[in-house]
Parts: sequence; structure tokens; C-alpha cells
Amino acid sequence: MLEIRNLQLEFRSDQQAVRAVDGVSFSIGPGETLGLVGESGSGKSVTALSIGRLLRTPPAFYAGGEILLNGRDVLKASNRELRELRGRGVSYIFQEPGVSLNPVFRVGAQIKESLRLHRPQAATEAEVVRLLQGVGIAAPEMRVKSYPHEISGGMQQRVMIAMALAAEPKLLVADEPTTALDVTIQAQILALLKDVQQRLGMSLLLITHNLGIVGQMADRVAVMYAGQIVETAPAQELLRRPLHPYTRALMQAAPRLGAEGGRLANIPGSVPRPGAMPFGCRFHPRCAMARPECSVQQPTLAVVEDGRQVRCPYWNSP
Amino acid sequence: MSAASPLLEVRDVKVYFPVKHGIFGAVRRWVKAVDGVSFELAAGETLGLVGESGCGKTTLGRALARLVPLTEGSIRLEGEDMAQWTGAQLRARRRKWQMIFQDPYNSLDPRMTVGHIIGEALEIHHLASDARERQARVRQLLESVGLDGAYAAFYPHEFSGGQRQRIGIARALAVDPKLIICDEPVSALDVSVQAQIINLLQDLQQERGVAYLFVAHDLAVVERISRRVMVMYLGKVVELGQAAAVVRTPRHPYTQALISAVPEIDDQSQRPRIVLSGELPSPIDPPSGCPFHPRCPVAEARCKLEVPLLREIVPGHWAACHLAGPASRAEA
Ligand SMILES: Nc1ncnc2c1ncn2[C@@H]1O[C@H](COP(=O)(O)OP(=O)(O)OP(=O)(O)O)[C@@H](O)[C@H]1O
Ligand SMILES: Nc1ncnc2c1ncn2[C@@H]1O[C@H](COP(=O)(O)OP(=O)(O)OP(=O)(O)O)[C@@H](O)[C@H]1O
Ligand code: SF4
Ligand SMILES: [Mg+2]
Ligand SMILES: [Mg+2]
Repeated sequence: MLEIRNLQLEFRSDQQAVRAVDGVSFSIGPGETLGLVGESGSGKSVTALSIGRLLRTPPAFYAGGEILLNGRDVLKASNRELRELRGRGVSYIFQEPGVSLNPVFRVGAQIKESLRLHRPQAATEAEVVRLLQGVGIAAPEMRVKSYPHEISGGMQQRVMIAMALAAEPKLLVADEPTTALDVTIQAQILALLKDVQQRLGMSLLLITHNLGIVGQMADRVAVMYAGQIVETAPAQELLRRPLHPYTRALMQAAPRLGAEGGRLANIPGSVPRPGAMPFGCRFHPRCAMARPECSVQQPTLAVVEDGRQVRCPYWNSP
Repeated sequence: MSAASPLLEVRDVKVYFPVKHGIFGAVRRWVKAVDGVSFELAAGETLGLVGESGCGKTTLGRALARLVPLTEGSIRLEGEDMAQWTGAQLRARRRKWQMIFQDPYNSLDPRMTVGHIIGEALEIHHLASDARERQARVRQLLESVGLDGAYAAFYPHEFSGGQRQRIGIARALAVDPKLIICDEPVSALDVSVQAQIINLLQDLQQERGVAYLFVAHDLAVVERISRRVMVMYLGKVVELGQAAAVVRTPRHPYTQALISAVPEIDDQSQRPRIVLSGELPSPIDPPSGCPFHPRCPVAEARCKLEVPLLREIVPGHWAACHLAGPASRAEA
């Protein structure tokens, strides 16, 4: 369905080129859900946006790799092919709903436009209302007439979801689809995504920083740090037994309901800036398990167990 | 400010928006986004605010920041009625509160460098004597939110969502406010950055005594950072109490459903979930009686008729439910 091989993405300006994605590979089968988690700024969104070639070039520049969607390399696709591919091939729930909705059109008109482009036979008022109902919007007949600024952040996000589902895509890329939603509506949206997925055999690339959602939704998980994948594993196994030191630290930092107070564990230091990556392992300045060798040699992503890859030679040391 | 009066006193605040394009043509209707909210916030305290998407949290925050006018009610900051401030009086007090927004994408001017965005706040309020000092302060602020000082020369589009949120926090901190209204400040952040920001906000509170109204959907985060938690539903406060009490023994059926829906890492299925059914109500046409009754799993006949008042169920723990009593129903 989707296969990304050794993707190299740079942002170039007059002064410099910074590599935001450095050698990312993963694949998603039909009907499968891959969870993509990782440090803020690690390159999850730009990787995902590359699948539909949605980054402006320049400043973005593809320095290498392939993105095969149904066997075709989208990095080599013509503009016409790209237009076909966006929508029914891959559609998006963007991380920033406020930006993705057009402020001058009513939300109903925007969903209808998405239907007109991708499923013209279904471009009716009734279908628009049905889609809005599906994402839990109250009084949808009235809400179709609202402008984006007149609805709450969570409602904007749900309108975005309705628009993405309107196309009935083969691959849905959902970038933090429920961060602006309260947990009861979140549960409803996740159930809706699962339901649509089963009905259409849709594949799902789910970017989230909520590890609870990963456990509920994902078949497999890929963890990113500083432009690279540092661990991949079946979702339940990763949550039960994270192997990479970054993934372990991440799980310790997650706040849990009803836990006693005190400070949250966090990872000291901050994410390296693309263009100022540390030598050796990119995580070593912040790693609790680092040893002198870590600042010299960059580790590779190696298969360590059936279905599990880890970018750390010392994952198994005490 | 007299020692006894709280930093912020919110009395029966209502914010209504007109609906102009109703299906009934000329009939004017109202979105009752915030419908009679009262609470107090002490200096240096954190009040967590949670609730259904669209229940009015952002609107309440914007009203506190004087970004939307009140339809009714009053807000007093350090004992003074905010609505009375105009002109120079208002300018002199603007520094006292800041807002950190839900959407880090729209809240930073894309044409300004980060250094300029943060520096502007310092300039407006004359918080640095010259350009040199201003630059040094900007670097220091960036570092205090865990960003490299060299980022001052970058533009917002060059940052990820989480990084932009940190810039927003640095900008808010620049003027050393008394109150920060945080509208989902960590929703866009991965958990390790989220932990850093929460710890940072807590440290800043200890050092500077700043108070927070902290809006978030992640209850574990809210519980961690807040002393008290307030739960809203359809423009109204339905529960208010100590954070641990609200999370462990929620008194309102909506809060009970909310807490049961939290996706947790450790257990995927063991916990019983209260699944809410029924249409989501609309603030344009709120239900009669208790606003939650159409979806409430334990509603009785009177819930449809009588509006439940916010009552003190056990000392310090308030709920607006006819059935809430000192013996918790949460186990039922
Ligand atoms: N248009 C751009 N120009 C220059 N750099 C960019 C641009 N867009 C993104 N970047 C950089 O690429 C890196 C990856 O950004 P991306 O948005 O993919 O992060 P992310 O993993 O999605 O983070 P978050 O969890 O915060 O959303 C960041 O360091 C960011 O600064
Ligand atoms: N400018 C406006 N004009 C008309 N209605 C508005 C306006 N701003 C907000 N509303 C309405 O007020 C209600 C409350 O919105 P608000 O943004 O305060 O919700 P919220 O609790 O912050 O939700 P979320 O969790 O989704 O961010 C919603 O029904 C919204 O549609
Ligand atoms: S390689 Fe070294 S620094 Fe990197 S994660 Fe493993 S132990 Fe930590
Ligand atoms: Mg992102
Ligand atoms: Mg909001």
C-alpha cells in the first residue's frame, strides 16, 4: 500500500540546507494502522506531508529516497498524477485545523467541495450533514452555515476529519487528529476511524503523542527522534517493553491519571536543531545509558527481535 | 489589593454570540457559549479547566483576557472591576495577564523573527533598557522554555508545532504577568516536552507566584498541575473541587464519563468505560432542566424539568447534579 524507503528531506535557504528527515523507511499494508510517535520537531509531520507531496519545494528538497504509493513513486509523479492521488489516494487530517479550513467559506460548502472533487455522485447536502453527524457535531443542519471562526477548536478539527473522510481515501494520514478534543469525543472519533477503516479497508498513518491512543489504535509503531526512526515494533509489545532509551524515557514522562504528585520525569536537555545534530548517536547528549562510544559512532537501525528494530547497540545492556 | 481578596473573582459571567444565519431566517438566536460562570482564583494558584469540546472554555479564557466582551457578569482582578479600565489605566494593567493559545500556528506573526516576537512584548512594556539587554532577555527566555537561544533569528514557520508552543510561552513570560490563561498549552507537545513545560510552569509559579487558568483535555495533565479542577458542560460549571478529589471521586455523571474515557497506557480494556449516547446538545438550543440530561446514564424525571444548582456536596467539592450526594455514586 505505502512504502517509504530511505527518505531524505532537506529545507534549503540561501544560507544553509538542514536535513529534517534523514533516512526514514517504513511501510503500511492495506487496512493497517501505523502509529508514528516521537519528539516534537523530529520530522513526523514533514514525513507525512511528503506522502501527498504537500511541502512547498523550495524550501523543501528531496535529497533521496522513494515514497511508493500503490507501487508508484510520488516523488516522481507529475502534477496531474498528484492531483489524482490526493483525495482518494491519500487524504489528510492536518495538525493545524485552523489553518487548513478556508476562513471565508462556510464549513458546509467546504465539505461539499471535498465531495465534489472526490465523490461527485455523493456531493449532496444530506451527505454533508451525515458526515458532520458522524464526527459528533450537534445541530449539523445549522452548523453547515457557520464560518470556521464561529466554531470551537475541537469543532474545527472535527470538520477537518469530516472533510478527509468525505473522500473515502485508501490511505488516511491523521496528524494529531484528536488533540483538540475532549476524551469522550476523542473516543467517539477513534471509534469512527476504526469503523471507516473496516468498511473501506483504509490504511491509517496515525501521528500522535498520546501513547494510550497508540495502544488503542495502532497495529505497529514507529518512534522518531531527530529526523530518524529509532525504534519500530508491534504496538502492544512496544508499550509493554520499550527497548530504545528514548522510547523508555518517553514512556516514563507520560503522566498517568491518579498518580501521586511530584515532578514528572522528563528527558534532560532539548531536541537538537536540524543542522546542529550531535555526532554519533543523535540521542547521546540526553541519554541515561550513554557511554563514550555513543558520541563517536552513529548506530544503525537494526533488527533485534522478530518484528522489532532498534537504533541503539546497547538496548540490551542493564 | 487587600490581603484577603483573591487575585481573580469571576461573578456570573455570560458570553453570548448572536447566530445570524439561523434556519428560521430573521429570528435572532444566541450561542450561549458561557452561561453564568463564577469562581475565584488565588495568587499563585492553578485552576484546571476541562470539559466537552465547544463547552466554552476558550471563550471564558478570552473573556478573562478582555478579548471578548461580557454579555453579563463581572470580573475583578486584584479587587478592581476589569470592565471599568480604559485608556491609560488599561495600558498600565495589560501586563498583569497573558494568554497562551490553543493554536500555536495562528498566534505567532509569520513575518517576524522569534526574537522580534518576544522582544516586542519587552519593548511595549519598557522591560529592557536597550537593544542589547533586550536580546539577552530574549535568549534567556528561549532557554527557560528549553529552546536554543540561537533560535531568536528564525521565523515561526521553521518550527514544529511543539516548538512554536514554547515560543508562545516564552512570549507570555516576557512581561512577568500575575495571571496566565493557558488554553491547551501542551496539547500539541510530545510527552517529554509536555513534562518539561509542566515542570517549567510549576517552577515559574513557585519563583514568581504567577497564577494559571489551565485549560486542557488531558486529565492526567490537569490533575498533575492543578490545585483545583473545574469542569464545564455547555457553558456552565458542573463540578469544582480539589484536583485529586475530582479525579478519584467525581460527583457529576459527566465528569464520571470523562474520566472513564481517558485512554491509558497500562490497561487497554479492564476499566469499565461509561459510553455516552444520545445527541450532543447544542449551545444554541440547550436542553431543558439539567443540560446533561439527554446523555446522562442516571437521569431521572426531574432532571428534565429542574435546573440543578452548583451545590457543595462535601466540603470544598461542588457539583451541579440533583443526584449527587456525600456518598459517592461513582461505584454504582
Ligand atoms: N518550512 C520549513 N522550513 C524550514 N524548516 C522546517 C519547515 N517545516 C518544518 N521544518 C523543520 O523540520 C523539522 C521537523 O518538523 P515537523 O513539523 O515534521 O515536526 P513534528 O515531528 O511533526 O513535530 P510536532 O510533534 O511538534 O508536530 C523541525 O525541526 C522544523 O523546524
Ligand atoms: N466568535 C464566535 N461567534 C459565534 N460563536 C462562537 C464564537 N466563538 C465561539 N463560539 C461558539 O461558542 C461555543 C464555545 O466555544 P469555545 O471555543 O469557547 O469552546 P471550547 O470549550 O474552547 O472548545 P474546544 O475544546 O473545542 O476548544 C461554541 O459553540 C462555539 O461555536
Ligand atoms: S546509542 Fe547510546 S546514546 Fe544512543 S540511545 Fe543507545 S545508549 Fe543512548
Ligand atoms: Mg507535527
Ligand atoms: Mg477551546
